[in-house]
Amino acid sequence: MSDAFTITDEQQDYSQYDLDANPFPYSPVPTEDPGIYCGQQHVSDKISSTVSSMLSTGKSKHLVVTGKYGNGKSHTLKYTRSLLRDRDDVIVGYVAQPGDGFLDIYHEFVYDLGFNRLQEFAYEFLASVARDVTDTNPIGASGMESLIDEGDVLLSEIVPEAIRRLSDVTKFADFARAIIHMVYEDTNLYAWQWLTAEGIRYEQRKEMEIHSALDDDTMGVRAFTALKNMLLELGYTGIFVFVDEFESIARLSPKDEQATLNSIRHLMDQNSSGLCMLFGCAPEVWQDVMSEYHAFSERIGEEVALKPLTSENLYELVRDYLDQERLSSAENEGIDPFSEEALDLILQTSQGNIRQVLSMCSRILDDAAESQENKITAAWVEDNI
Amino acid sequence: MLYRRRKLDLPRGELDTPVLFPVRNIGKRSSDNTPTYVGTIPEFSAAMINARSIRNRDPMWQRISNGVTLREEMDVPEDTIVFADSGGFDFANEEVDTTPAKTLDTQRQLDADILGTVDIPLSRENRAAENQRRIDQSIEYALKASDHHDGKGLLFASVHGYDPETIRNNIQYLEKNGEFDGFALGSMVPIRTDYKKVTKLILSARNATDKHLHVYGLGGLVYQPLLLYLGVDSFDSSAFIRSAGNRNYLIPGFGGEELRNIEELDRLPCPCPVCGQKELDEIREDRTALTQHNLWALATELRRFRYVAESDRDVEEYLDLRFSGNKVTKRAYETAKQQMRRLT
Ligand SMILES: [Zn+2]
Repeated sequence: MSDAFTITDEQQDYSQYDLDANPFPYSPVPTEDPGIYCGQQHVSDKISSTVSSMLSTGKSKHLVVTGKYGNGKSHTLKYTRSLLRDRDDVIVGYVAQPGDGFLDIYHEFVYDLGFNRLQEFAYEFLASVARDVTDTNPIGASGMESLIDEGDVLLSEIVPEAIRRLSDVTKFADFARAIIHMVYEDTNLYAWQWLTAEGIRYEQRKEMEIHSALDDDTMGVRAFTALKNMLLELGYTGIFVFVDEFESIARLSPKDEQATLNSIRHLMDQNSSGLCMLFGCAPEVWQDVMSEYHAFSERIGEEVALKPLTSENLYELVRDYLDQERLSSAENEGIDPFSEEALDLILQTSQGNIRQVLSMCSRILDDAAESQENKITAAWVEDNI
Repeated sequence: MLYRRRKLDLPRGELDTPVLFPVRNIGKRSSDNTPTYVGTIPEFSAAMINARSIRNRDPMWQRISNGVTLREEMDVPEDTIVFADSGGFDFANEEVDTTPAKTLDTQRQLDADILGTVDIPLSRENRAAENQRRIDQSIEYALKASDHHDGKGLLFASVHGYDPETIRNNIQYLEKNGEFDGFALGSMVPIRTDYKKVTKLILSARNATDKHLHVYGLGGLVYQPLLLYLGVDSFDSSAFIRSAGNRNYLIPGFGGEELRNIEELDRLPCPCPVCGQKELDEIREDRTALTQHNLWALATELRRFRYVAESDRDVEEYLDLRFSGNKVTKRAYETAKQQMRRLT
């Protein structure tokens, strides 16, 4: 057949449905910054109260969000992250999965913050020192950077003081030196590699006068705590750590699993303020953790479960997605062109799995538009799944 | 390419740059026997001297205090241009025994044309905190010198740092807080084999200021073309003396060769006034002749570069060729070229 493929860059026309485009995500992978959260009220309530309590009291608080695969754990974490990222008084890092131990969690977290952010912290810290020991009044990281470039402050005057103060605040002189080395172009890559626990050669450490290697869980906890203490010193309210797919610790050896949980426990013990950890975990693995590692589960304390979608949840979800692309904003067209029965069938087929539901909706809407179907009925869905 | 030609307006007249200041070890006990070169090589009508060692050399300082001029002590014409370095190089291992005001006073008594500020050199072996302290101290000395400087002779602030930020930051800070006619980059000698680092540091200084830029101590055969390429305005070298002491014959375009490796030769591959007339055997016996030739070698290197630059030839092509013989210097030049590309 010569026309087996029709490849075109022409945009599919959804105007017959009063839509500008297909609002559903094509890929079932949760987007980085979801604009919509049509999750479950009890879950958003629980997350809100955990987050708000940390923000208002400054006391650390942690939460586990459980849910079966596809019920929206990642979506929930990422949506929460996108809300928190708009605030400039908190630091949020996302860890896609715990890896082989705590050091991997630390590594992913710092990596998610990124090189530029860490460099900004370094400049912010230098700025706080410059405000104290010079007549200048740098505002923020970029203000500090230009004061240095313009020669308004003398690096050799503020750097030794900054290292001294940061060592004091973090109780970790090597960490302090690594952070300050983020402002030097000759060493900032090594500093970054050390700070992300990627490991650097002895000579590279020596150049920065860093004596220790950041290469085990204990050092990871120490560095994490140092980072948090630095941020609190800089005036941030707290640091949020989102650990997704926490269930994957079950594939570790019992010894490694215990070590990982112990490290997280130590981290929580050493950070009674300014830290909020949010875990996404499959319920069965969380059950095991609860029963086998009391010391750990005691500290998390709170758990909230995502349930599979109900019909009502789904109508609401689909309506929110459709509203994003509606052409005429005045009218409320609900779930058109889908019928309730059609959505019920989609829900049933996907067994309440949000990811599958969304990608099915996306595909079905495309198919319907192509065959100029006015209304997406249950029968049409059945024929086209 | 950042190579540039300027003129320095000095009390004794104009000096064309880029220029090499041959080091005159006057005052240093061991080496008052530097042969006279002023007048023998036209463009080397200048010298770099160490103000501190002259001041600390009692009989000589007495004579100068009593009215004998430095040029008389040096046995050179009165119009010889002198760059008086503070002698900070010795403070790497010795206590600082001067103040900016005292050094300026010495430099004035020597009737120096260019005055380097007091500084404390860095070492790669130092703890970073110690180097930071030294950088800070050198900046303070430079600013003090600026306060005391009466405007006679040009004042060059000594700048130190082992990373581009520090050097940029120091130069900008000095520009804002003092008055200087140029900058002199120090502490390069201890790290001279790390060409990549040295190149980077020089580039950061060159980019931080349009004023005169001197680099202390790197004016030997290998570094000279690199410094010219990087837009450095002046440099100094004692390589011609040191090499001669080691029976090392400098050959422009090649580097140094120990005389014992070329014993069979009658005539040397250099048309300078020394080698042009004398046979190798004579030169071997005459350290002064060897020193003079070595200085001619430095002059030739400089003249060649100028010739290439003036004659519309491709400087990079010339340097490709110039550095092709030695792996280490070739890599150094390649690095410089890359860093330059990234800049433009
Ligand atoms: Zn010769």
